[in-house]
Amino acid sequence: MTKDVMVIGGGIAGIQAALDLADKGMIVHLVEKTPSIGGRMAQLDKTFPTNDCSICILAPKMADCFSHPNTNVITYAEVVGVEGKVGSFKVKVLKKARYVDETKCTGCGECLEKCPSKVPSEFEMGLSNRKAIYMPFMQAVPRVMTIDKEHCTMITKGKCGNCKKACKREAIDYEMKDKILELEVGAIVVATGFDSWDPSSATEYGYGRYPNVFTALEYERMINAAGPTHGHIERRSDKKRPIKMAFIQCVGSRNPQVGHPYCCSVCCMHSTKESMLAREHHDDMESTIFYKDMRACAKGFWEYIERAKRDYGVRYVNSDATVQENAETHNPIVVYDVGGRQQSEEFDMVVLATTLVPRKETLELAKVLGLKADEFGFLESSERILEFGKTVVPGIYLAGYAAGPADIPESVAQGSSAAAKAVEAIVQAGG
Amino acid sequence: MAENVQHAIAQKKDEPAGANEWEPKIIGFLCNWCSYAGADLCGVSRYQYPTNVRAVRVMCSTRISPHIVLELFTAGADGILVGGCHLNDCHYITGNFYTEKRLRLMKKLLEDAGIEPQRLRLEWVSASEGEKFSKIVTEFTEQVKKLGPSKVKKDAALKTRASAADGASQTFRLRALVGKELGLEKTGNVYGQKLDQTELEKLIDAATKDEFERSLILELSKQKARSVKELGQIMDVPTDKVLRHIVVLRQKNMIAMEHPDGLTPTYKAIEIGGEQ
Amino acid sequence: MADTIKVDPKDKPRIGVFVCHCGTNIGGFVDVKSVAEYAKTLPDVIYATDNLYTCAEDGLVSIREGIRKHNLNRIIVASCTPRTHAPLFQATCESAGLNKYLFTFVNIREHCSWVHMKEREKGTTKARDLIRMGVARARLLIPQEEQRVDVEPSGVVIGGGVAGMTAALSLADMGFPVHLVEREAELGGFVKNLNNLYVTEKSATDTIKPLIEKTKAHKNVKLHLGSQMKSVEGFIGNYEIVIGAKGAEDIKAKVGTIIVATGALEYVPEGLYGYNQYPNVVTLTEFEILCKKKALPKMKNVAIIQCAGSRGQVKTYCSRVCCNVAIKNAINIVDNYDNMLGLAEQLGTVIEKVPVEQKVPEEIIERRRRRRGRERGEEGEADEVKLGPSEKIEVTVFNRDIMAYGVEHELTYNKAREKRVKFVRYTTDHLPRVYMEGNQLTVGYFHETLKLERTMPVDMVILSTPLVAQPDAGDLSQMLKVPLGQEGFFLEAHVKLRPVDFATDGIFVCGTCRGPADITEAVTQASAAASRAAIPMAKGYVQAEALTSVVDENKCSGCGTCIQVCPYGALRKSEKGLAEVIVAACKGCGCCGATCPEGAITMTNYTDAQLLAEAKAALQEEV
Repeated sequence: MTKDVMVIGGGIAGIQAALDLADKGMIVHLVEKTPSIGGRMAQLDKTFPTNDCSICILAPKMADCFSHPNTNVITYAEVVGVEGKVGSFKVKVLKKARYVDETKCTGCGECLEKCPSKVPSEFEMGLSNRKAIYMPFMQAVPRVMTIDKEHCTMITKGKCGNCKKACKREAIDYEMKDKILELEVGAIVVATGFDSWDPSSATEYGYGRYPNVFTALEYERMINAAGPTHGHIERRSDKKRPIKMAFIQCVGSRNPQVGHPYCCSVCCMHSTKESMLAREHHDDMESTIFYKDMRACAKGFWEYIERAKRDYGVRYVNSDATVQENAETHNPIVVYDVGGRQQSEEFDMVVLATTLVPRKETLELAKVLGLKADEFGFLESSERILEFGKTVVPGIYLAGYAAGPADIPESVAQGSSAAAKAVEAIVQAGG
Repeated sequence: MAENVQHAIAQKKDEPAGANEWEPKIIGFLCNWCSYAGADLCGVSRYQYPTNVRAVRVMCSTRISPHIVLELFTAGADGILVGGCHLNDCHYITGNFYTEKRLRLMKKLLEDAGIEPQRLRLEWVSASEGEKFSKIVTEFTEQVKKLGPSKVKKDAALKTRASAADGASQTFRLRALVGKELGLEKTGNVYGQKLDQTELEKLIDAATKDEFERSLILELSKQKARSVKELGQIMDVPTDKVLRHIVVLRQKNMIAMEHPDGLTPTYKAIEIGGEQ
Repeated sequence: MADTIKVDPKDKPRIGVFVCHCGTNIGGFVDVKSVAEYAKTLPDVIYATDNLYTCAEDGLVSIREGIRKHNLNRIIVASCTPRTHAPLFQATCESAGLNKYLFTFVNIREHCSWVHMKEREKGTTKARDLIRMGVARARLLIPQEEQRVDVEPSGVVIGGGVAGMTAALSLADMGFPVHLVEREAELGGFVKNLNNLYVTEKSATDTIKPLIEKTKAHKNVKLHLGSQMKSVEGFIGNYEIVIGAKGAEDIKAKVGTIIVATGALEYVPEGLYGYNQYPNVVTLTEFEILCKKKALPKMKNVAIIQCAGSRGQVKTYCSRVCCNVAIKNAINIVDNYDNMLGLAEQLGTVIEKVPVEQKVPEEIIERRRRRRGRERGEEGEADEVKLGPSEKIEVTVFNRDIMAYGVEHELTYNKAREKRVKFVRYTTDHLPRVYMEGNQLTVGYFHETLKLERTMPVDMVILSTPLVAQPDAGDLSQMLKVPLGQEGFFLEAHVKLRPVDFATDGIFVCGTCRGPADITEAVTQASAAASRAAIPMAKGYVQAEALTSVVDENKCSGCGTCIQVCPYGALRKSEKGLAEVIVAACKGCGCCGATCPEGAITMTNYTDAQLLAEAKAALQEEV
């Protein structure tokens, strides 16, 4: 019997669950797959409906979560096995070798200059490169480097060793091995979040074929001052700043043909925000949003849409839309329909609100934990109405997008709620 | 280890320093959560900017009272930069709205004192705006360089006026007005009447002028007892207005009348023992 | 842990300065050795040195040893940013027995070496200046004790609907006694009126019955039915509450935390779409009640009008739940109409009010018949033969956007369309009209695709009106000193990251009193609020960082300006009528300090004197 709790996933839902538990005096093991906690929220430039700077409000939470005396943040790690039941789960955690001693690395970055390899940055959605030794983003927590073994020539071919030479702290260890940690916990919170679906296969949108078609997350990185273009909105084809922007909603979602019949809940607001930010960056930018239903239905959301129309000149067109291209200018052409009449209109850039899907590893994890997932890969609550987040396994709870489409405040509330349920379970189990 | 370090130091070459060029001294008050974090990110990203700003970290820009800024200008600061979170992003919910109101008062007082209000700058910098921070510092440093060194240290009259502005900023009336300004705009006065922003600003500007002049009378009459006429001349204010101020100051027991040689009455500030 | 070093504010400062090379991150661009040498010349500096990495173990040891060997009572580290490394060096000072508030951080990396990489000389001058500023500040620092305030480990939940019950049960299950205050005579709130619930389609009564029973039976829940909050005094951990019931004596209790879950009401659409004017025009909830009572009239055509009074019509907001409730009801009607008909079938076609008899001219009836035929034709005549049982009854949902967010709602929306529920979009330029054509209740609307006015005779109109705030939410808001937002719903501390907290510590919010939400969302917020409320109660105390306001009673005139500007309700009038800081609630922003008209408030660790000394040191010409 133990009062420790494990949280799987270090995005905002997981961070909130971990902090709520740690603040109550419970020991929390937070397991995060990537080298840093922060999750998707760390990638966002601003958040609707207040246009708050995302990293400004998130970074203090990340720091709190990491330095809390009751948390043990295990990054670059995955849960690979679970036995036992509520009150005493025995969890196996695979701690992947990062080839950098976390206790020695200060994140100074001297190694970065010396590393010769270039790898598309996951955090920047591939819009810029990182090195084989890297920190995913400037505000990463923990502030330590990680070597991506697939792209490090020292590890793959035994040639290079530059980073080791550059590191005065002697933090680099090419011999580091993966480790299995065995932890006992009384309850588990699963908050593994979402991925952005790759729309290349939906050819009607031209993503991957037409250079000036972007996904929403790519655009989000682009408008971030710390992003790959330092906040400049640039076309892929000629690096020019676009003036006419089109945002297309429900790309791959609400669309059973591509396998995502559901609604992602957040993209109407997200695209509205991105349109507003375009205008905030440059007065002459004009945005049009092509949508099926404008789902702006939480607190202050409809008012936000009204503001976008009134103060930011955002144009809303109620229509499905597809994309073609003017081959000469690489201007995307949006084909849509108004009152049954087909129309086409040329834009400088198109941004696709692609389906947000549960991370594919979530299904693996569900198997390990004995959880049920629905046909789309979302983890299922056992009692849908009154106890959202409870699963078929007593002692395991869900939070955030992995349990179904949710925005940030919902994910935060679910994180806290899962924390409460974990405590209740441990108290009731006699812990 | 020392060898490594020495080696690294030796490798870096300086650009030739303009030896006797005047460099402004600029104080930067940065809030912990956004602008200081933005300055940190600026460093992490290695955006370069001039060396003139010396940052003082505060938890929130709302901490910076007019007194702090005006005392530093009186002490000869060439420029002051106040950095906060963007409006609505404040870590303390509404702090920066008050900062904005206070900055307006500070600028007004600087103007009254005869110090260029452009020496004081308020900027919102978020934790992800590292590059913006470097641009702001670069621009502001240029701006202060154009204005030249603060004249306060060399010009005694200006220093007196600066002290007067500082004094005015600490009066109950101005602090209370600026403290209540936001509330009066948003929720209204005790009768529930919301006040129009421009109306309110007019009111505050008038009060600021009055308080500055009174404070200046006190500063001048601290140095020596002076007549109304003399005060009016130094201050470039009509004597009847000076007299009205003196009546108020006498009621508050802040100034005393003297009759040297039984001639024109002169006035001397009453200094409260020991208190600054 | 070493013995605590007693430092009296009057003791002469003995300052130690540790300047960090950070490898070459600082050392490569700033002459660190000379900076450390310079530090030795500053007033009260007893010891100064440079470290390759001050944050490495050997660096930390040098700080501890410095404190011991040189009796240092102030420590300055000049290295990177306090935002990441202050806790480490503060802990090091504490481990050597030195109060952590005697530590000063000087940032010569992010704010100096990294941003002046090509200006070694000027960068070094700036580093010297920054350290001189740090020394000026350090000399004025005094040790601080962090104040602890005990927290009563019990709570009160206001409101006995699903959110309130869930919050109370969650706290109770975590082991905390909780008062649950409900003004009605029974638990269940808004939901107890409903017929069945979407997603599961189970009866509302059956769904919440176990929750009500568990709430009534739980040993940690003290129920106060038919009762209201009469007063609340105090602050986090220490609230004195009074609960009053009609005809009973007031109950006084002390609680540590408060959860607000007072719910919402349905908007009554007086003057909209013939409500209360024509028969058979009902709101969504009235329809639920009719279903529940099996009191539906005979119908062939039902119109549901969405956004009746919301999204700019009367209220500005979208009420979130009505689209999905309407879809559920539409499917219910189409699938289940026969079972839903009950006693009222004998009553005929009209509920509640009997319409005024009107003689309808024959030609109007004829015209109506023809129009109706066309209507049918347009909406899929070809399929008519295939209709199953639902051919008896048709449901049309007039909507602006269908808010079927997420997985289940969208799938249900698709199902409704498969079941031939008609969805007709309208815009605010062409609102649907409800009127009587003779004896016939009729909906007129503008067909957006055909750009034509159409009419539809109907037997019932259901208006989806928004959830609205409780009319007396303002009273509770004043009692608790927590804010309401624009539309009268309670306003949380932060829209994104603190959805169930109030800015005031110790008070939380959940359910529809903070804005429209469905049952699942409301109970998720409820257990989130319980989680947040349990934090101080589980700890048993709250400890405030010593960065709080301090009032000088000799200067305070009791004007109350500070109380108005504090966003956390951390100031109040004391019995003497003067300002008093509730240390447990203060966050240390300093707004009150900069505002106080008497200059009577200062901030611990950020006093005017400290800030001015630090800043003025920058203005000094270098020694």
